[in-house]
Order: sequence, then structure tokens, then C-alpha cells
Amino acid sequence: MDFATLKTKGLVRTAMAPPAVRAEFPFGLGEPGLHEIAESAYGDRAAATGFLLAAIGQGVCGAWVWVRQASVVPDMGEVPEAALPGLSSRLRLTVQARTAQAGLWAAEEAVVSGAANLVIAEVEQSDFTSSRRLTLASMRHGVPVVLVLPYSCEGATAAASRWRLASRPSAPNRHDPHAPGHPRWRAVIERCRALPSATGQAFDLEWNDETLSLSVVSGLAAGPAAPPAAADENRFRLRAG
Amino acid sequence: MAANAPARAVGIEPGLRLTDAKATLPDLLSEEIDRAADLKALTALAAWMVRFSPLVALDGEDGLMMETTGCDHLFGGEAALVAGMSSRLVQAGHGHRIAMGGTPGAAHALARGAGPGEHPVLPSGREAEGLAHLPMATLRLSPEALTLLRRFGLTRIGQLYDIDRKALTRRFRSRQAGDAVCLRLDQALGRRAEPFAPLRPPPEHVECLPCPEPLTSSEGISDGLQQLTQRLCSALTVQGLGAQGFRFSAFRSDGAASAVTVNAARPVRTPSHILRLFREKVSRIDAGFGIDLLMLEASRTGPMASGSRPLSGDLAGTGFDAEAVSGLADRITARLGEGSVILTVRHARRPPDKAERPVAYAGQVPEAGAAPVLGPRPVRMLNRPEQVSVMAQVPDGPPLQFVWRRCLRRVVRADGPERIAPEWWTYLPPAPGERGRLPRTRDYYRIEDSDGRRYWVFREGLYGDDRGMDPEWFVQGLFA
Repeated sequence: MDFATLKTKGLVRTAMAPPAVRAEFPFGLGEPGLHEIAESAYGDRAAATGFLLAAIGQGVCGAWVWVRQASVVPDMGEVPEAALPGLSSRLRLTVQARTAQAGLWAAEEAVVSGAANLVIAEVEQSDFTSSRRLTLASMRHGVPVVLVLPYSCEGATAAASRWRLASRPSAPNRHDPHAPGHPRWRAVIERCRALPSATGQAFDLEWNDETLSLSVVSGLAAGPAAPPAAADENRFRLRAG
Repeated sequence: MAANAPARAVGIEPGLRLTDAKATLPDLLSEEIDRAADLKALTALAAWMVRFSPLVALDGEDGLMMETTGCDHLFGGEAALVAGMSSRLVQAGHGHRIAMGGTPGAAHALARGAGPGEHPVLPSGREAEGLAHLPMATLRLSPEALTLLRRFGLTRIGQLYDIDRKALTRRFRSRQAGDAVCLRLDQALGRRAEPFAPLRPPPEHVECLPCPEPLTSSEGISDGLQQLTQRLCSALTVQGLGAQGFRFSAFRSDGAASAVTVNAARPVRTPSHILRLFREKVSRIDAGFGIDLLMLEASRTGPMASGSRPLSGDLAGTGFDAEAVSGLADRITARLGEGSVILTVRHARRPPDKAERPVAYAGQVPEAGAAPVLGPRPVRMLNRPEQVSVMAQVPDGPPLQFVWRRCLRRVVRADGPERIAPEWWTYLPPAPGERGRLPRTRDYYRIEDSDGRRYWVFREGLYGDDRGMDPEWFVQGLFA
């Protein structure tokens, strides 16, 4: 039995100590606890959402609760079902709140109810008290919570980690040099509660949606692949001649 | 014009002109009749009268019609019911005339024709003798019909009984006017049915809690709600039903009522869950000078899914707990308002911005099954595509640079086009002389700009497709 079915309500839960945060990527993202993912500049919200779905989204079935503040939708759009990983037994419940406080309340309610396996909240701002409540509720009930925040979020937080995401030019496309390839992002850990030494570390990530793998690439790789060499030209010249 | 009792004592009757009335009494106070405010007050009174019977309707501009079949035994008989209503209305300070009859027409006539202080109760079957002496004006006829009948000397309802119908209808100007008179007479005597449209449909289960003395404290209201919920849930359990809508009303002794409603996504009958939903809203009940009666109604009842839940997650059909999810949705809706909890369902439409629709969550389970795999889809999709001004190669090249939200973005890489044609049934050539918007083919491109951000843009229309002006470009979404 995997974690997801173990967490279904009604089943007797085995007492397990929460696994220790590993000293490597992704530093506890996806484990019970509160994490924040913020964009580094206006316009990087798509990169933050893509990173979220890539790092956590695969393999979490059951009910998701996506809380969003109504002001986010006309600005940055919404996440369609087509973009979510295609698991057949997944239900995504969207909660639309008018204020950030209402959204954070709904997120806490979803965690406490035990109905959700993953809670994502997209609000305009968050404060220390709400993040502390969410962290406590998340650890007590074993449900991971992620806050997706805009670029203007600063200040103290009780979250286990805070990431800053920026978009980077995509990987070279094997089949067509003029087409965008796999998406690439630059993720910086701004705050990490479990491993303070990892603060400030930056990762250049690439997401391959065919193999569903998030890999680290060298920061130097950029630009499209070079076109094939001039060997064909010689062949033509010989034939004409 | 209407006059109150002191004015009538001086000699000012309705029907007098205002100048004549002012001549009779120079200090007369007069106000214009405000029908809108009257209607509002009448509706509020109708909401209060629900404590006697759930079926209350408005009758004209200044009356209420109530259907009390089957309610009279709760108050000790019909006469006692009418007397009780009258005393409560006097307590609330409303001047009134009440009568009870076997048909709506009879009741209307008796109430309008009753003298002061009388509350006639006419047993059903005796309408003919009960109504004979009442004036014709109480029969709900139009003013022209009344004038005509008065010219014939017919002023009491009893005079109509023996007149030949055909001869009477021939005297009227039109066939409808004559038929209306006969219809009203037959409705009053019970020969023809009359539809009754209550203001609110009657609930399926009701529990009442009368208060021995007027209740003003909020703890008392919460205690009353708790007792009522226990009783209602046991009544529902006995019948094996659950309810989706609950309405808690408090009737005050001064003739006003206040109510709060909660809704549940699936039929429920657990008292703790229902009380939790009411907890947010019960503070909206206004106690005023004291509450006489608390009432809890259950509507939209339906059979409850039997409560057995599988112990192991493997045996459950879906990967999530449907009851816990709908309970969560109920609590969130109770606090944040209707329509806060949304489910996105797939819609079989081809344009990507219409392919998914938000639907309010109502306890349904989304159908499993993967969507047909089309091209790559963006991770954020705008609800309405935003127009951009684009420099691109004509006729079907990808954009080279574009301006979106007032920033110029240079395109470094582009992929596409993915052609999505409109559905054939949306293409309707406009009628001659009309100008309509024809649906146009869309070519979607996945582009990346020099900052590394990726967009999904489309060109609406093809050059030379004769379906409108030159094609325009829009941004549909953002890729990760």
C-alpha cells in the first residue's frame, strides 16, 4: 500500500515518525509541512506553477484543494485540468476566495478536514501568524501545503522553505532548432528552516515532460543547437560536377 | 384614497377628493400612497405568518391568503386558530380583518365584508348561504363589471344565484367580461378550482419550538437551534432521508421574522455537521424585542447513501473520501458564500478557452478518464484571450515580436501552428442585410521571448478566408 491509500480516511493509521528532511533537492518539498513558492519578478508565475506541478504534482492522487484569490485569475489566468498530471483517481476542488485571509482560512480548513491529500493556496500575501497556523495544522495532519505567492512577498515566515522561481530560456529542441524545448527555470532557496546552510543555493532546473523528470542542468547551456555541419554541401557539389 | 379611523369619525371617507377633505378638516395630514413600501411590508408580514401555516400568498394589494388545511388541529380548532391569529396581530400592532372559508373566493369575500371585530368562520359546503348577503364588490370583479351590475340593480352576491347565465353574459360588452363574472362566482362557491401559489414552496420537514417567554439572548437561540436540529435529524433518520437545505427562522412578537439558510452539497442528517454550518450564520438572527417561536425547516430531502465506509483504501472505488470532501465543501460554502467551491469539468468544445467550464460543486464525482491528448497545453490559461499587436510574416508565419500588456517582447523561438478549426455548427452565414461575427480558424503558436518566458498565442482567422477583416492575434496562456 502506498502513502496515498494509507492516508484515506477511515483506515487505521500507523504511527510513523515524520521522515527527516534530506540535505538535497528538494529539501522537503512534498512532505507534510508548509512551503512557499514565489516568483522572482512579475510574469514568472507560470514558472512557479510549473515548478510546483513538477516537484510535487506527480504521484499525488486523491483530492487536491486549490485555493485561489479571485484577484489572481484575471491577472495570471487559472490552471486548467489539462495541465495537471493525468491521474484517473484525482479530484481537484477549486476554492475561490475574495480576500487573502479567507483563502488562508479555507486552506487550513482543508488541511484539518482530512479530505485533501495536497493543499495549494494562491494568495496575494501571507503573514507570519497564518503561516504558523498552517505549518502546525499540516504537521499534525500530515498534509503538504504549498503557498504560491507573488514577487512582492517579503518578510518573516514560519514556512519550512521559501523558493524563488525565475524563467530561463528553454533547452535546445532536438527536432527543430527554432522551436522551444523543455522548460527551464532557476530556483533559489531563499529560506530553509531545516537546513539553514542551504539558504541562497540556486538550481538551474529542466523539466522533461516525457520522462517526467526534473533535472539539474548547467547554467551555461543556452541557445539553440547548431545546425548540421556543411558535409552535405560537398556531397551536392560532387554530384553536380 | 384611504382614511384611518379618526378621520372617518370626522366624516372623511375614502372616495372624497383631497381638497374637500382638507376643507372639512384644515389640519389634515396626508401622504401619497407608496405601493412599493406597502408590498415590502406585506411580504414581511407574510414571512411572519408562516408560523401559522407554511402556505401563504399575497392577495391583492393589502391582503394575505393562507391555506390552513390540516394546521388547525395544532391550535385547537379553526375558530381558535382564527382568534389566536387575530390576537397575535393585535399584539404586533396590525389593524386587520380575518375570515376563514372553504374556498379562497369565499374567504376573500368574508374578510372584506366582515364587520369590525367579527371573525367569521364558514364551514366548507355552506358557501352559498354564507356569501348571499355580502356586497358584490367583495367578489373580485373589475370596476366596469361592478358598475354594470349595479346598473342592473345587482348589489348582493345572493342576487346572482338565480340569474340565467347566458342572459347575464350577453349584457356585457365582451365575452371575456361576462365569463369573468361567472368564473369568480363559481370560484367563490367552490364549483371551479382556483390555483394557489404560495410565496415559498412548503418545506418537507418542519420542527417548531415555541418559547414560553420572549427570547433575546444568543445562547438561548443557539440552545433552541440545537434542540430543533436533534429533533429534525431523528425525524429524518426514522424515514431514512437526508436533507440538503436547512432554514432556521425566528418569529418575533412584534410581527417580524428573521431567517438564515444553509445548504449542503449532499443530503446530510448529522446534527454536529448541520450545527457547524449554522455556527457562522446564526449571529445574523435579530432578536429584537423577543422571539416567540423558533422553526427549523428541511427542504430538498432525498435518500441518504448508506453509511458504510470501506476500511481499506483499496476497496474504495475512488481515491478520495467523498463524504469528507462534501463536508469540507459545505463548511467552506457556509463561510465564504455560495459558489466558492468549484469543480472544473471538461466540455466537449474545440476552442481551448471553452474546453473546460467551472461548475459549482454539488457533491458530484468527476468522471474518470483521460482527456484526448492534443498538442502541448499551457500551465496557466487566461479566461479571455487578450489581444496583442504582432509583427509576423504574412500569411502564416509565427510572430517575430509582439506587444502584450504594454511591453515589447522579442520572439526568439516559435513552434506551431496547431490549427484548431471552429465547430461546424457554429458557422451560420448571416442573413442578407445582417452583419454577424463568423467563427474563424485559429492557428496556435508556442513562442518564447528573449527573457525566457513562453507564451501560447494564436491568430484568429486566415488571410483571405472571407470571414472578416484581417486576422488578429491573441495571447491564450503561459507555458511553464
